[in-house]
Amino acid sequence: MDCSLIAEELVAYCFGTCTDPTRLAFENHLLECGDCLRAYLALKRELEIGPAGGERPSPALRERLRADVAARFGRPRVRWFERRIPLYQGLAAASIAAALALVLPSAIDDLRERSNDRSGAVIDTSRSIPESSTIY
Amino acid sequence: MDTDEELYRRTRAGEMDAFDALYARYEVPLFGFLLAQLKNRQDAEDLFHQAFMNALTSREPELGVGGFRPWIYRIARNLALNRMRSQRRADHAIAALPEIDVAKSPHDELERERRTHALALAVARLPPSLSDVYQLRASGLSYKDIAAVLEIPLGTLKSRMHELVTHLRKELTSWTAR
Repeated sequence: MDCSLIAEELVAYCFGTCTDPTRLAFENHLLECGDCLRAYLALKRELEIGPAGGERPSPALRERLRADVAARFGRPRVRWFERRIPLYQGLAAASIAAALALVLPSAIDDLRERSNDRSGAVIDTSRSIPESSTIY
Repeated sequence: MDTDEELYRRTRAGEMDAFDALYARYEVPLFGFLLAQLKNRQDAEDLFHQAFMNALTSREPELGVGGFRPWIYRIARNLALNRMRSQRRADHAIAALPEIDVAKSPHDELERERRTHALALAVARLPPSLSDVYQLRASGLSYKDIAAVLEIPLGTLKSRMHELVTHLRKELTSWTAR
């Protein structure tokens, strides 16, 4: 295939309408001829840039479309205190909160006493022992 | 990576990140397709918005026939055809071509501009049936997708493609002349 035939087949090759033998001959010629290769690449580039040269819509359009889609399909935001939770989850949370309220104060006191003992704090024995703490 | 169909379903389920991904895939090719048809940026933006909303709010999504891609192009094309009915497409397209300033361009750039102009003029002179085929092919759609958008058999599309190539071959003599 020579350059004049390549010129004839350039558009057909770009649009994929060549027969297989023509396509093979075309590609073999491109491998050997820089001028034809350049012509092919130039046309290919024009076609790939696209009919409108790669333009995109304005950012304002994107925001407007996004807002409309969100209004139509978006999941509504629910604030944490407005969330509905199942009854069993609520009861379980309440039970855990009640247990912590009962156990935590004495646990904290125990920890304080242990840390005081370890640090060698002086125990004040001048104070009277409350009756409730007296062991008989 | 999610398919277009999965992104479409997730958008309808309220996942806005899916919408963002779907928009990013189509903003250049679909907008470019509309702009090439209408030659007016504002019209192209309006119809781009409308095509997306029509696709998303459709009660019976036609995703089974070729998938989301040809379907949204079909919607966009029909919107563009309706908009252009009162306009004379060919005159409008030719009138919209930019002029080349011969005095200002260096030789290589001038050569490139002439070729670009020759292609644009050749495309503007295409009859509507072939112009659609060209615009869709240039937007990156496969033969199968183009046939689905235009709702024609693949054999008919191939005939039109041959006709398109014959037209462009004649018009692009400046490109290919030795």
